[in-house]
Amino acid sequence: MVQGAPMVMSKRKNSKKAILISAIVLILSTLLLGCTNESKENSTSNKDSKDMLTLAWPRDIGEMNPHVYNPSQLFATSMIYEPLVSYQDGGKLKPHLAESWEISKDGKEYTFNLRQDVKFSDGTSFNAEIVKKNFDTILKNVDLHSWLGFITKVDHTEVIDQYTFKLTLKEPYYPTIQELAVVRPVRFLGDAGFPKDGDTSKGVTKPVGTGPWVLEEYKADEYAIFKRNENYWGELPKVKKIKVKVIPDAETRVLAFEKGDLDLIYGEGAISLDAFKQLETSGNYQTSISDPVATRQLVMNTKKEQLSDLRVRQALQYGFNKKAMVDGVTSGLEEKADFILPTNFPYTSDIDVTAIDYNVEKAKALLDEAGWKLPKGKNVREKDGKPLEIELMYDSAESIQKAMAETLQSEWAALGVKLNIVGVELTVQIERFKANDFELNFFSNYGAPYDPHTFVNVVGSEGFGFNEAISAYPNRDELLKQIADVPGTTDEKERQELYSTILESLQDQGAIVPISYIKKIAVYQKDVSNFKFPANRDEHPFTGISIEK
Amino acid sequence: MGTYILKRIMAIIPIFLLATLLTFGMIHLSPVDPAEAYLSAAHIQSTDEILAQKRHEFGLDQPLHVQYVNSIIKICQFDFGISYLSNKPVWEEVTYRMPATIQLALGSIILAILVSVPLGFLAGIKKNSGIDHFSRLLSFFGASIPSFWLGYLLIFFFSVKLDLFPVEGIGTWQHLVLPSVTLALPLIALYTRLLRASVLENLQEPYVLFARTRGIHEKVIMGKHVLRIAISPMITGLGMNLGKLLTGTIIVEAVFSWPGFGRYFIEAIFNRDVPVIQCYVLLAAGLFIFSNLIVDLIQMCIDPRISRKGGQSQ
Repeated sequence: MVQGAPMVMSKRKNSKKAILISAIVLILSTLLLGCTNESKENSTSNKDSKDMLTLAWPRDIGEMNPHVYNPSQLFATSMIYEPLVSYQDGGKLKPHLAESWEISKDGKEYTFNLRQDVKFSDGTSFNAEIVKKNFDTILKNVDLHSWLGFITKVDHTEVIDQYTFKLTLKEPYYPTIQELAVVRPVRFLGDAGFPKDGDTSKGVTKPVGTGPWVLEEYKADEYAIFKRNENYWGELPKVKKIKVKVIPDAETRVLAFEKGDLDLIYGEGAISLDAFKQLETSGNYQTSISDPVATRQLVMNTKKEQLSDLRVRQALQYGFNKKAMVDGVTSGLEEKADFILPTNFPYTSDIDVTAIDYNVEKAKALLDEAGWKLPKGKNVREKDGKPLEIELMYDSAESIQKAMAETLQSEWAALGVKLNIVGVELTVQIERFKANDFELNFFSNYGAPYDPHTFVNVVGSEGFGFNEAISAYPNRDELLKQIADVPGTTDEKERQELYSTILESLQDQGAIVPISYIKKIAVYQKDVSNFKFPANRDEHPFTGISIEK
Repeated sequence: MGTYILKRIMAIIPIFLLATLLTFGMIHLSPVDPAEAYLSAAHIQSTDEILAQKRHEFGLDQPLHVQYVNSIIKICQFDFGISYLSNKPVWEEVTYRMPATIQLALGSIILAILVSVPLGFLAGIKKNSGIDHFSRLLSFFGASIPSFWLGYLLIFFFSVKLDLFPVEGIGTWQHLVLPSVTLALPLIALYTRLLRASVLENLQEPYVLFARTRGIHEKVIMGKHVLRIAISPMITGLGMNLGKLLTGTIIVEAVFSWPGFGRYFIEAIFNRDVPVIQCYVLLAAGLFIFSNLIVDLIQMCIDPRISRKGGQSQ
């Protein structure tokens, strides 16, 4: 390189400096610009917080499309869109957008009389035409929705008159009415929401529903504001607006709540057990715990040699103090479960099973009887020279499963059973369960409004894990037949008897052990009243909620 | 100088190709089947038929080299595919979240520079003075405290107790303060120490002695000569961290609910959203390459000896 004259050098230096300075100025000004632009929006949205309930949710609410799944959040979808039938306490199915319905004797034809006073949030009326349009769109993507039993059974849909809609099935399927209460996909989008080609699986043009709330403002990953639907046909919500802030971190949710930025936090595992207890004992806030939404179960794979003996399975159940474990691990936020499905679900309240209470002596006797003896000087039982060793798989991201696994490990060690606990990722846990590559595993059922038929169906179907896990049941074939028969029953009494037999048998044979009932939690400020958990696990809890400020 | 820049830019191409090859290989070595991942993200029960159909749709049934070439062509057009989770183009989702992350990264870098340059420089020229001890204390603290914990502490004291800043979210400059401080503190710790060590080293150099014997004012020696040369390792460090900041603000974004793309990618990882993960890895590679280039260019401006050697010093 040629040495430049001093003049040139200094010029070049100056221009470099100028570039550097202008670059910095540019960066700083964009930074500031970004701030000021957004601050304007923010101040307007915070203005009327008096009539606004603010809550935090871990994820963005997603696209408000009633006909698809992830990433849209169920509670938010349920604020905008409504079902024909609603699921209420104790598993009662109440009229919602359908005023009443008739089911034909053969259980194949469902005729719905629709409410006549319902309007979509854009003013268009709700009628049989739009119901059919929604159904037909959903049925175009049967594969997407085949998990919901009745969808695969639909033969055709008909508009009888303006407010009468008829659904015809290929075969009788009793859970149809119950499945109509789920949050998606059978909820109703207004005409204006359909895209040009009518295929909602790719997106909707506008979130138009009949529900009590309308999406007013939405900023992905930041917040969503719902305003009350002033023309709502049912009970008008007491608060004017609901703001959902996206706060992914549980501790930050608690801090924001303590500061007063939030009125409400609720959900399953919405905040840590410690934080919940701390907020509860502080006395400055209100808290509540829901009815059971699902059962946490321990599944034993009877295909594995050491677990194929009923006596071993029973011994393991007698051998741990369930109540102490559940109370200790969950700080009382979950409740010891005696049945594999919560008893507040349909057909689950009348189940007669042999109670298994904590009894170490009995557990030891059963193991002795089964041939697993404790050799002198050793602390693990053996049979034909093989030690009694079992592996328990748990979701490593779930602290409750981990703590319970550790408790079982120490409790069963006292019986002479060596429990190896293995923490795996959730996807691995599901895959290994499906592939029957496990000995013990945690599971929880789907909850309202999906059960009991979905759980029983999963037990009966191949490829989900349970079907293979109950291999050693002596009455397995009979059980599977009963499970296959249940959905087609048309007689209420017969159905109840079948459910009772199935659930009793599943539990008495000891492959599915109820551990605890999972519950939702909520914490809210003192000025919030009428907070009530909905019976439907996925539904929003904002009906009737109010703030006195 | 021109040829040097050109050389550096040309060198990016093979590095970038290598990065794409690695990401491609990584995705194909992973036990997760993208078709299966797609179905589970969409809550569709996977039957063999649907799986085969999806594999065909994603082009997974083609030979590997064809898949690779196709993916390169698409990447060149900024087409990273469709997110399994949201059904939207990945690039659209990423660019939507990019400004927030850039804002946070710049905020913390500016803060880090504003604090660590004077602090490190003064600590170096006034060794064992009060300010040196203070810088040492701050560095120990900054280097050893985990960022999520620092974030919670800052929220607890400055937001919940003193009510000076908002707990979370984005919007005003006040929203930027706590997350920037959280991100900047480890950087401050690092750069202060780097600069201090470098200043001390340079003070031993003969040119300082010559300058002093020539009677040049101490302030000029320090400000114009020592600082200018001593700052070089710090700029390198900054460049390395720029890539890290733009991609690695995940924890801070989660703690402060900052709607940036670190959070978006964490979600993608949990849901096995393969196209998003692929895009992230490539983007990270691109950012690291790019920020290193920028750093080299800045260093060249400050210390022209680098380009005179024709880039050999790299």
